[in-house]
Amino acid sequence: MYILGIETSCDDTCAAVLKDSQILSNIISSQINLHQKWGGVVPDIAKRAHQERITPVIETALNRAKLTIKDIDLIAVTRGPGLAIALGVGVNTAKSLALQSHKKIVAVNHVEGHLMANFLTNSHGLPRRPFIFPALALTVSGGHTKIILIKEIGDYQVIGETLDDAAGEALDKSAKLLGLGYPGGPVIERLSQTGDSTFLKLPTPIPDKKILDYSFSGLKTAFYYQIKDWPKDKVNKHLADLAASFQLAVFDTLLRKYALAIEKYHPACLLLSGGVAANLILRRSMRSLAKKYKLPIYLPFKKELNTDNAAMIALAGFYQAKRNNFANPHTLDIDSRAEL
Amino acid sequence: MFILDISKNYNQVLRRVAASISAGNLVIFPSDTVYILAVDPTNQKAVNTLLSFKNRWTGKAISIAVSDIDMAQKYVDLSTDTKNLYQNLLPGPFTIVSPGRHRVATGIEAENGTLGIRIPDSKYIFDLIKLLGKPITATSANLTGRTPHYSVSSFLKPLSLKKKNLIDLVIDAGKLPKNKPSTVIDAVGSEIKILRRGDLITGSSQTLISKSESETGKIAEFLLKKALKLGHNKAIIFSLSGDLGCGKTVFSRSIGKKLGIIQKIISPTFVIYNQYPLVNSSFKTFYHFDLYRLTNHFEYQEIKFLDHFIPWTLSCLEWPENMGTDLFEKLKKSTHLIAVNFTYLDQNTRQISFSFPY
Repeated sequence: MYILGIETSCDDTCAAVLKDSQILSNIISSQINLHQKWGGVVPDIAKRAHQERITPVIETALNRAKLTIKDIDLIAVTRGPGLAIALGVGVNTAKSLALQSHKKIVAVNHVEGHLMANFLTNSHGLPRRPFIFPALALTVSGGHTKIILIKEIGDYQVIGETLDDAAGEALDKSAKLLGLGYPGGPVIERLSQTGDSTFLKLPTPIPDKKILDYSFSGLKTAFYYQIKDWPKDKVNKHLADLAASFQLAVFDTLLRKYALAIEKYHPACLLLSGGVAANLILRRSMRSLAKKYKLPIYLPFKKELNTDNAAMIALAGFYQAKRNNFANPHTLDIDSRAEL
Repeated sequence: MFILDISKNYNQVLRRVAASISAGNLVIFPSDTVYILAVDPTNQKAVNTLLSFKNRWTGKAISIAVSDIDMAQKYVDLSTDTKNLYQNLLPGPFTIVSPGRHRVATGIEAENGTLGIRIPDSKYIFDLIKLLGKPITATSANLTGRTPHYSVSSFLKPLSLKKKNLIDLVIDAGKLPKNKPSTVIDAVGSEIKILRRGDLITGSSQTLISKSESETGKIAEFLLKKALKLGHNKAIIFSLSGDLGCGKTVFSRSIGKKLGIIQKIISPTFVIYNQYPLVNSSFKTFYHFDLYRLTNHFEYQEIKFLDHFIPWTLSCLEWPENMGTDLFEKLKKSTHLIAVNFTYLDQNTRQISFSFPY
């Protein structure tokens, strides 16, 4: 089955073409130069100009897959959660494409997309990954931090999530506090490599072992007030130590609750995804956690499948179509606060 | 002593209370904070009954409730600064102490001639005072030195028969929410002083002090109540500026909860805003915006920023600094915008200042 995935839930305009779980093309607007190709229709400065970008992005995805819209069997689009106005562009485009070219359409939850990112394969069908359920997923990005129990595809239970800021957001904001700009997650990661993570003592959010939810806002506040009155040269001197300390506090929190969830729910398999899953230190810690519990762990096979992309939406759509869970292209609407 | 339920035959109950107070009797009445002891403060016999009920020694003032600033001025002298306090804090859970004009019975004003005035945020009390055409006493319904009461049964239980006989009517409004008695502000001198801490602590006519997340929540509730009076002809916006980690998100969450949202209200930084449809509210939608990531004006056009603020919506806007002055001025013109600013005082203390568009 050929699936066209469309994802516009926040910053990036994304389209992808899959043959079942195999990625034929995966286009993310910020990673290609539309500007050059499309005669400068999209100003560089615009971040969320989905309306201008959606058509060229879809066309590029089809071209790279060497297909036309006629070859597509299914359109999968993100309906939420996300930024309402951005979601609207994707959903409306998907609806009119489906109606014009008489295609079936499925509406996908963005978070389910992140879960599916672990099962995407290249055009040779690799890596081969059998589904092993129940699986326990940790999805960590700039917008989400969730522990999800997957009983089977389509049957999800959120067993822990952030009560305030997402983990990726906390990392981004700490970078800004250090004067490193926003978003700064990757900068924090790079600096951490040479820093002393025991340099700054930070509190442990929600120490209660019965609660599997996260909170990162207090961590950010504690960090801010500890270094608030430091002279600039002191901050700069210890930049790597501060970055390492903060990153460790965030990852410790992520793993602490996740380990509690493993002990409580006894999964057969572990999954990690979301933008923060691109962080090597987090990946390493998760791998050693998996080793400790003697469980297999899946991570998306390519780095860019961690961040928002349409391939993961297309794959979630593929399984939704298998369950006959189609949307009506006349009435489909966004759901900016969609729950899993 | 009769107990009447205020939820039944409201107007009739109110007329009965007014008649009783006019006749010089003592009535137990619900307020926006706790149950209060209501008598006519200009009637000496009634005031004597009240004082003997409270076991109150003379010299300590009994605050009175009025309907508005005009009525207040008949009983106290108000400086310009104090008028500002009234304008910004009342109606609300505050008692403001000013120099008295000696137009009340002995025992109401303090020995130094000052008098505490309340304008409670309570429809019951407002209606009652309007009906009477004069103030009532608003001291909490407890014996001096004891804790105040939130339900009629907890109030009546420990009372001796002798005390009960001093009461003519008890007006039952069920269990009141656990709000502390009002904050008492001494506005006699040039600088205001806090004589008693209630739920809300003020620093000046337009600043409140929070010592915890729950106090920030109470402040949000107080400002929401005031905002509701601005009307629905335009969108209502709380524009929340100030330092990181000062409670802007806590404030927004309290507003959302008060509007009836049961889902988790999480940080909108990544998605820029979250939209919550409202069911049991006079508003249709609650928007929680975080402009942290929107740093240039293109991005405001991209998300059709201004189009969101239509009548019957209420929004909390974090990082309004990022929108720039032009857009901010536009927003100010087209909406009821309440500017709220958060300042860090020490590890647990935040100063929250506000300014309403009037």
